[in-house]
Amino acid sequence: MIIMLLVLPLLSALLMLLWPRVAPLLALFSASSSSLLALQLLVQVTEHGSRSWLLAGWPSGLAIAWQADTLSCLLILLTTVLQLLVGFYAFATRNRDKLSQGFWPLSSLLQVSLTALWLSRDLFNLYVCLELLGLVAVALVSLSGRSAMKPALNYLLLSLFGSLCYLLGVVLLYGRYGLLDIAGLASQWQADWLSNSALLLMSLGLMLKAALWPLHAWLPAAHAAAPAPVSALLSALVVKGPLFILSLLWLQLASVQQAQAIAPLFAAAGLAALLFGGWSALRTPFAKNLVAYSTVAQLGYVTLALGLMLKFDQPLIFAALWLFVLAHALAKAACFLAVGEMSATLGGKRLTTLKGASQTMPLAMFAFAVAGGSLIGLPPSGGFVAKWALLQGLWLQGELLFWPLALVLATLLSAAYVFRVVVVAFDRADPVSPDFSPQLIPQWLALLPALAVWAMALFSETLMQLLRLEAL
Amino acid sequence: MTELSGSLLLFLITAASLVAAGVYGFIIGPEPLRRILALNIISAGIFMLMVVLAYRGYDGEATADPVLQALVLTGLVVAVSATAFGLTLLARLKPSSSEISAPEEPEQ
Amino acid sequence: MSLLLFDTLLCGLLLALALASMLSRQLSHAVILYIAFGLLMALAWARLAAPDLALAEAAIGAGLTGALCFTALARQGKLPLSPQVSWQQRGWPVLFVLLMLSGLLLALLQLPASPGPLPALVLQELADSGVSHPVTAVLLNFRSWDTVLELLVLLLALLGTLQVAPVPVRQNSWALGRSWSQLLAPPIILLAGYILWAGASQPGGAFQAGALLAAGAVVLKLNRQLNWLAWRNIWVRFFAVAGLGVFVIVALAAWLLPGLAAEPIWLRWPPEHAKYIILLIEVFATLAIAITLTLLVVAEQPATPISLERPDTAGGSDD
Repeated sequence: MIIMLLVLPLLSALLMLLWPRVAPLLALFSASSSSLLALQLLVQVTEHGSRSWLLAGWPSGLAIAWQADTLSCLLILLTTVLQLLVGFYAFATRNRDKLSQGFWPLSSLLQVSLTALWLSRDLFNLYVCLELLGLVAVALVSLSGRSAMKPALNYLLLSLFGSLCYLLGVVLLYGRYGLLDIAGLASQWQADWLSNSALLLMSLGLMLKAALWPLHAWLPAAHAAAPAPVSALLSALVVKGPLFILSLLWLQLASVQQAQAIAPLFAAAGLAALLFGGWSALRTPFAKNLVAYSTVAQLGYVTLALGLMLKFDQPLIFAALWLFVLAHALAKAACFLAVGEMSATLGGKRLTTLKGASQTMPLAMFAFAVAGGSLIGLPPSGGFVAKWALLQGLWLQGELLFWPLALVLATLLSAAYVFRVVVVAFDRADPVSPDFSPQLIPQWLALLPALAVWAMALFSETLMQLLRLEAL
Repeated sequence: MTELSGSLLLFLITAASLVAAGVYGFIIGPEPLRRILALNIISAGIFMLMVVLAYRGYDGEATADPVLQALVLTGLVVAVSATAFGLTLLARLKPSSSEISAPEEPEQ
Repeated sequence: MSLLLFDTLLCGLLLALALASMLSRQLSHAVILYIAFGLLMALAWARLAAPDLALAEAAIGAGLTGALCFTALARQGKLPLSPQVSWQQRGWPVLFVLLMLSGLLLALLQLPASPGPLPALVLQELADSGVSHPVTAVLLNFRSWDTVLELLVLLLALLGTLQVAPVPVRQNSWALGRSWSQLLAPPIILLAGYILWAGASQPGGAFQAGALLAAGAVVLKLNRQLNWLAWRNIWVRFFAVAGLGVFVIVALAAWLLPGLAAEPIWLRWPPEHAKYIILLIEVFATLAIAITLTLLVVAEQPATPISLERPDTAGGSDD
């Protein structure tokens, strides 16, 4: 079954290349069946516990190791569902946006590379997945035509540099231990200069690829240059891949001393990302750049949670980390689709074109506001659940002053940039008139993930249970 | 401390220096083409490191570490793919003056 | 002693070429220096008992990357000299790089002199892998999932390239070049076939053979031959995709056929058929790699800005 999750999108992508005409239907078919398969896999894993495989049936060490635990399954489900949603959006707007046919095979390949990444527990295989992910992402950005070439090239170069840093770390570790699979390495791990430098190199590369502060500078340009469905996929999914590997490295490989030593750095970087990302989102004149800067800021929560997790080793904080990832993915997909829809209909990239959007395009604006509520962390949204878990974890550790205050400050900043859009949209005095009558279906599609992120609160207990299990 | 033999140590240091030279070129640039070359030099350095590591314990009869060599082969193909894509993007970035501009998609 | 002298000379030259390529103010010089660097690198790898890699590096690293860079240079036209970088501007990067280098060297000194457990494990399991050359066994059996993903990376680079392919630079082919390149074709095909076949037991295999074929095809394409070799031709598309497709379909068959009794394992080849399965995969992979690499270097200009948008009207009209 798990094989079909990879083979189905892969083969359909190949077929799409041969017969471009059937591409959209094939893509939607493969995304919908993979969503069902992913749901089934999640149910199976929660019932029978996590599963691992040694590919090709060779002994451990020689073979590439895969593992499907609840976290991987959740992420696979998230990937397939968002693929499906974005696929529908791209299908609904295909005549208007002139999205090239190239989108369909690339989005299927994106699904393959992410699924392969969530499953893999082999350092070199993860490198190939990373490269794959980077190339798909750049190819997707370049769909926008000539105006996107510069950010795409920049993205490609930095992403390659990041992967090479990661590869150098992998090579150092292989030279020392002669192993590539994470479980095997963890059992022989020694905290010395070599493993320190390998971890640092790999983290540096991964942080560059995940656009974690201070290595985030490429992200706003690249994400804002891409077509709306692509930006949604990039912000919601692609940056989470390197983040996943980063958490694997520090939570499973690194020794306690190493984790303790790096924890304050991650926490500080997260805090800085929250402040600087939020501040830039407040200042940018372009709507899509605002959403992209908000991604930088929201990734700050994730980095902060990673740092605090390494420091306190508290399962609740681990759950918070991945809840942030899930909530952000859904909310950001909604934001990008809504903003993309509004800029396409109202005809402009600047924030000021959204003037009066609450009147002209109420549904899309509602989607943005609802998703923004989760970005701020209003109860009872997914963002709130994540933040609450983080606060609870801090409370249990007796951290009552500094970090909670920092969280409040970050929340205020994100509220400010979300309201910046809302205020413009409710300025009904002289609304920007749409270029053509707004389409309903794409707006509904933008609203769906926004509603889903609020529905996360209903399942918060289950999600917390699942994720806390993984931390032990 | 290591007990690597003289030649191997020499190759190890060269590999590390190649990586360093590539990183320097990547930082300084300034042309994108130079950055692409720099990335290729970094990867050549890393691959050289891998090949040297594979050579450890080689006595002329048994083969050198085949796993590492296979990884290098994979890495080479990945590197050339990325380079080719990067160069195409670059070519689109700076069209030469003689080129007839291709029809553009309308700006959003 | 003479070997140490040779090594010192080789390492010194490699470093000098790399540095010169990074520091030269003329971009075309940088590219030429880089190609020389790639060729020397192939020599270094042959010296380090990695003949597979030396073959691949000579074809891919130096040959194709060089061709790619030259195409890029030709497209950019006349370039001005790079601006002179002052010592103040160089200071921080140099400091950073030196710090990084010393950290890296300290880490490298902690490496043990003996290899890890995997090479022994490879030799132990080699008999069941279906081939007798360990590198091929690792690529197509022990770690075949890496190879699937790698083929995917290659295909993806081609998709991206076709997406943004620029207008080609018009160049006239040279009559002598044309006839020479035609002479070149048959031996290259023969040699590629031999390298592919030899890969089962000695250095060689799909990647080297594919790269060699691609190098030949690039020479022919640059001399205005092989006009059918373009993405709009459905057969070319078919074979470019087939490398990956055959791999996955064979794996799927091997996964499904043993029946539901035993727990099927993804990418496991039954030992008695492994030899033929690997050969089948390699043949298609070679063709796919050759086609993909050729198209990557000689990126064609599609009729519309986005190649995939064209309905394929003239499917298979090659001759």
